[in-house]
Amino acid sequence: MNDIWRAAKLDFSLVKPYVKSICFTMVLPVVFAAVNRSLLTGISFAMCFIAMTTGYTFSVTEKNSMERLYGILPIRKSDMVIGRYIFIMIMGITALIFSLAVHPVILTILGESISAFDHISAAVIGIFLFALYTVFQLPGYYKLGSIKGRVFMYIPVAGFLITLLFLTKVPVGESRLLFTVIHSPVLLMLSTVILVIAMYAVSIRVSIQILKNKEV
Amino acid sequence: MNDYLEVKNLSKSFEGFRLHDITFTLPKGYIMGLIGPNGSGKTTTIKLILNMLKRTSGEVKILGFDNIANEQEAKRNLGVVFDSNYFSDEWKISQVEKSVSAFYENWNTQKFSETLKKFHIQPSKKVKELSKGMQMKLMLACAFSYDAKLLILDEPTSGLDPVSRDELLHILSEYIEDGEHSVLFSTHLTRDLERAADYITYIRYGELFFSGGKDEFLDLFRIVKGGREELTADLSKKMLGIRNFSTGFEALVKTEDLKQYAHLNAEPATIDDIVVFTSKRGEPYE
Repeated sequence: MNDIWRAAKLDFSLVKPYVKSICFTMVLPVVFAAVNRSLLTGISFAMCFIAMTTGYTFSVTEKNSMERLYGILPIRKSDMVIGRYIFIMIMGITALIFSLAVHPVILTILGESISAFDHISAAVIGIFLFALYTVFQLPGYYKLGSIKGRVFMYIPVAGFLITLLFLTKVPVGESRLLFTVIHSPVLLMLSTVILVIAMYAVSIRVSIQILKNKEV
Repeated sequence: MNDYLEVKNLSKSFEGFRLHDITFTLPKGYIMGLIGPNGSGKTTTIKLILNMLKRTSGEVKILGFDNIANEQEAKRNLGVVFDSNYFSDEWKISQVEKSVSAFYENWNTQKFSETLKKFHIQPSKKVKELSKGMQMKLMLACAFSYDAKLLILDEPTSGLDPVSRDELLHILSEYIEDGEHSVLFSTHLTRDLERAADYITYIRYGELFFSGGKDEFLDLFRIVKGGREELTADLSKKMLGIRNFSTGFEALVKTEDLKQYAHLNAEPATIDDIVVFTSKRGEPYE
């Protein structure tokens, strides 16, 4: 665990010079939330934007040929990968907490009322979206590098749109399971958490395999 | 443990290049020069040692630990300097320490500060503000701060001015003085090794040409010189490499064959001579 934490801290030190621009990507979605008068829209944009900054660690590593530093450090490749995922998840959680704290304030000032359910559903969707983006992005970055790997960013976007389209076609009322999950905040949260954990477990495993087979 | 680095039958195949059956041993307390022309396989050998490339076959032990099965243990006491810096150029020197020291239990902050002072590196500077020579010293300072027992340097002197190169050789000589540290030093600037190395491993076209003591290596060859009329077809066949001039020639020969060239002037060969002549595969050097 110590090595994983050290790897996450090393990743933080890579993006430290770019903290201002990362913070800017957290602030920008406030505008989207205000314009659309929707917490869900603001959170969705926030998680999408922060997911776009996850490539920073890979870009800095590539720019400075730091794969050689990672290659000489006494740390297992699997710990290095998990450390990076942890760091990126921390970035996502930070953006989510910031957005959940700021967006409702702005919306309330604009006269919108935000319920507890709005908070929960926005948080759940935010987490799911961020996970959906990053579980595809990170193995892509490990495999292809920060520039070519960016193409993986668009796969979840397309996937999300297809899912939305699919959901509108499915008569929720006829599916008891789907109806129960969607209308129960606890079940919705639980199922999202399980799904997110499963997605990350697969993604981490794939990334470790890629890094283990990678020659620098 | 007497041998800090053991490389046995190491092989790696790429498309268009094959590193084949490399075997050498670096005992503790010595500097070994890893030499060969560009593209001969020096960096490939080092990357295989560091497990940055996957070997096709063979075995590598660093300080007694297998470099794959016990990678972490092997790298705990290993310092590496590449031909260019591997830290983020936006990092300040203090950030370099903060980021790297966390991975080494025996990191000594005082030693790091002392080494920086000795190398005239200001901790407030960013990595990108350092010259190439200073960046190389920063990598060394890190390795010294966790008392790396084995130091691997991959072409550290390429691009350095003669003063910085001389300084590096002095630093390395000091480093092995206590008999507890070893250095594997890859370079194609072989003059650096004449002074510093105790052992030589010479890789040519992906194959091991020689590995052993530097003096033994130098003793194996001689340079013979003579007029053009003295160079018969029979003799030239036996020579390892010939360089013709308008007035005569010089050639690399094996010391054991020296009797056959008794009529020619013989001189000791330098490492440079041996590498240059043997890299021509014995073909006449015009």
